[in-house]
Amino acid sequence: MERANHQEGEAQGVRICDPPSESNPPADTLATSLSLLGNHMFPDPVERLGSTTVSRDDPANSSDVTAEEPSVDAEPPSNQLMKLETEDTETSESQPVVSAQPADRGTEDAAADNDQNDSGEFVVAMLAKAKLEEQGIGVKGRSSPLLEAGTQESPTFTSHRDEDVTADSWRQHRKHVFVLSEAGKPIYSRYGSEEALSSTMGVMMALVSFVQSSDNIIRSVYSEEHTVVFLQKGPLVLVCVSSSRQSEQQLRGELMYVYYQIISMLTQASISRIFEHKKNYDLRRLLAGSEKILDGLLNLVDSDPSFLLAAVHCLPLASSLRDSLSQILQKAITPNLVFSILIAKNQLLTIVQEKTVIEDTRLEPADVHLLLNLIGASSAFQAGEIWTPICLPLFNPDCYFYAYISYLDPPDCTVCLLLLSTDKEAFYAVAECKRKIEEAMETQNSLSLIAKAQSYSVSQVGVSDLRHFMYKPFDVPDNYRQLTQFTSPEMEAPYGSEEEKMRLLDLYRYMHSRIHSTSRPLKLIYHVAERETLLAWVTSKFELYTCFSPLVTKACAITAITKLLRWIKKEEDRLFIRYPPKYSTTPNPSKSSRGGKSDQQDSTDNGFLSLL
Amino acid sequence: MPDKMKRPDVKLVLLGDMNVGKTSLLHRYMERKFKETVSTVGGAFFLKQWGPYNISIWDTAGREQFHGLGSMYCRGAAAVILTYDVTNWQSLAELEERFLSLTDTANHDCIYAIVGNKADLTDPKAHLSRTSDGQPEDQTECEEERTEPQVLSACPTPPASPASLSGVMLHKQVTHEDAVALYGRILRYKGLDEKSSLPAEKVCFETSAKTGYNVDALFETMFDLVLPSILRKRHENQESPTVDLEDSQGAHSRKARIGCC
Repeated sequence: MERANHQEGEAQGVRICDPPSESNPPADTLATSLSLLGNHMFPDPVERLGSTTVSRDDPANSSDVTAEEPSVDAEPPSNQLMKLETEDTETSESQPVVSAQPADRGTEDAAADNDQNDSGEFVVAMLAKAKLEEQGIGVKGRSSPLLEAGTQESPTFTSHRDEDVTADSWRQHRKHVFVLSEAGKPIYSRYGSEEALSSTMGVMMALVSFVQSSDNIIRSVYSEEHTVVFLQKGPLVLVCVSSSRQSEQQLRGELMYVYYQIISMLTQASISRIFEHKKNYDLRRLLAGSEKILDGLLNLVDSDPSFLLAAVHCLPLASSLRDSLSQILQKAITPNLVFSILIAKNQLLTIVQEKTVIEDTRLEPADVHLLLNLIGASSAFQAGEIWTPICLPLFNPDCYFYAYISYLDPPDCTVCLLLLSTDKEAFYAVAECKRKIEEAMETQNSLSLIAKAQSYSVSQVGVSDLRHFMYKPFDVPDNYRQLTQFTSPEMEAPYGSEEEKMRLLDLYRYMHSRIHSTSRPLKLIYHVAERETLLAWVTSKFELYTCFSPLVTKACAITAITKLLRWIKKEEDRLFIRYPPKYSTTPNPSKSSRGGKSDQQDSTDNGFLSLL
Repeated sequence: MPDKMKRPDVKLVLLGDMNVGKTSLLHRYMERKFKETVSTVGGAFFLKQWGPYNISIWDTAGREQFHGLGSMYCRGAAAVILTYDVTNWQSLAELEERFLSLTDTANHDCIYAIVGNKADLTDPKAHLSRTSDGQPEDQTECEEERTEPQVLSACPTPPASPASLSGVMLHKQVTHEDAVALYGRILRYKGLDEKSSLPAEKVCFETSAKTGYNVDALFETMFDLVLPSILRKRHENQESPTVDLEDSQGAHSRKARIGCC
């Protein structure tokens, strides 16, 4: 994630415009940061209008589109028209700024103007194409619109799927996420059904293609209230429409998670293969049933700072207990087992890794997040033992692992064991490992000890005025690359309610975006907000975000941070997985998940070829 | 101490399109209740004690995403429960198009059951739970939620026109006769003689996981039907242990233990 952001950041430098209040040179000291920031919580988005407008939605064009639409397809009801208008007003009312990666600004503007007449036609053509596809060309009976309507009536489809996409409440959602194929075919929408949104997605694809036609890549559109971020990954286009005031990089990072989650279910190789064979393939056929997993991911992204920090959160545990759990996992192995992960209350207890595999590559936090999300989203029937293929996209986007998931404490289902193997057929062998782990945990009474473990309160730190913090260390004691972790206390009063939690997270997101700003990264920010004071600090050894009561003084805050760092140092062994244990299952080299021959087989064997 | 790995004696697999209610059926049978479930990922393994025998049940995902795994779950199966949704003709068609070929890896004497779930949506008699311990509150709850007019249920929908689905009432798209006909085609596909195989009326069920209607009957009938297969397998094992998949898997893990400890 970090890497991706970085590359994008470089390219992005071209279009950056500093809001006036930020025009001073970078500052590393508290005092200057403070004076720069003042009491502004968020930079006014209107300031961004200063940047070059590459392409603007022309009202004449949009009326073209709406006028032509009925003749293209007389069948759909009027809400299709409304949607197009919605899209138009949303983007045109505030003179949106489309930022792209222009090679040359001056000619770009001219080119955009010249093309504007064409673009209206182009949009219509795009929409017409999308409609034709919808009307059943190459669509199997099962996914015909009528039948789809039928399935939606079944009680399993509740949630946001059947939301009215023409309603104001739909437009009011804080963050929309859409996934579409390059042919403009809807794949996923966070709210509302994809069918109802097919023309909206057509317009999105038209925007992407329009900018693409002049050898540019559309990156974002800013309007007064919304930020629209585009991400193109292979044959997929991901779009986020957000009013959350997050930075473009953060939103793009979240779209990456969505992309990775899709990859984790289908693998990158099979997605490209499918679209190579058939450009207008309806990927929802393969993702049907996975919407809840994507919904769950997006909810987690909004509510769990692990995603923002790209680090995993482990449950604080006495190091002796964590070690004994690790030893239990280390002893229960079978050939081709690569990761053994123990989870309680959706947080890591311990993770044991195969020696040779982990020498080869490291387990990325994002992959762990996807695994945790999968467990959360598939927990409905908890008595059974699940065996499912899953791809860890940052580990290797093209092959599957086979995940064994089982709860160790039914019916409570808080302690979950996850074993990853590279062998598709290893279910019974891996299930036997679980049996051993269960036995060992029984004799050591581990379950009741785990049940007592809980996250900590900030009061344990013993620093007055400190309300909350997030600490992510970079200095790992072990000499090999380790899973990035962070520690954070429970969010307590005044951040007890969901709204207040979200508000604090938004503040952290804002601090994070300032610290990691691509144009002007900062090392230290002291930010006096309305109801609290925040201090964020990045060094080569750690990244720290703290939240204080509003009356704290700067000197106080600095003393508090010194105390906090001392406390963390003291508690290190309890707060983090210090020395990630390893085992050796001496996997057959050809079976190794790194691009071996067998993997090729695995991905082709998964039924995709039969679909083509 | 939890008991050592109970070695499953026989394997039973639930197959069928997504959203037909495979997980709900199993959940109704194992946990005696109906619960909203999420789409299954991969497959889920359950062990059911049936008399002196351990029956393993694989609840598989109906999604196309996991299609390739189907034949693995079916390997060595003694019984396959092919599940469809009585209100969705396509779900029956999918059994033949997509799922039947997966059963090629099942035992040669595998028993096939055809199960139409969600019968409560079309059939008033499915509202009366036939489970031995059907909870009364379960029934009232479902009466409230699913009292659709039954006007159309007398005339089965022709397979080609799913248009009537757009109405509020869900009516039966698949009749019992359709299921029986599919059973006949499955026997032919497997090259089995209809006379020597189990009669259709014994293995074609209509169930409701929501009310519990016929669910116990389904699973218990299947368990009884696979018993001979268990006995035969035990007998065969004494002569040639290599035939058995579970056993060879066991050997695999024994080898592992030698290797690492």
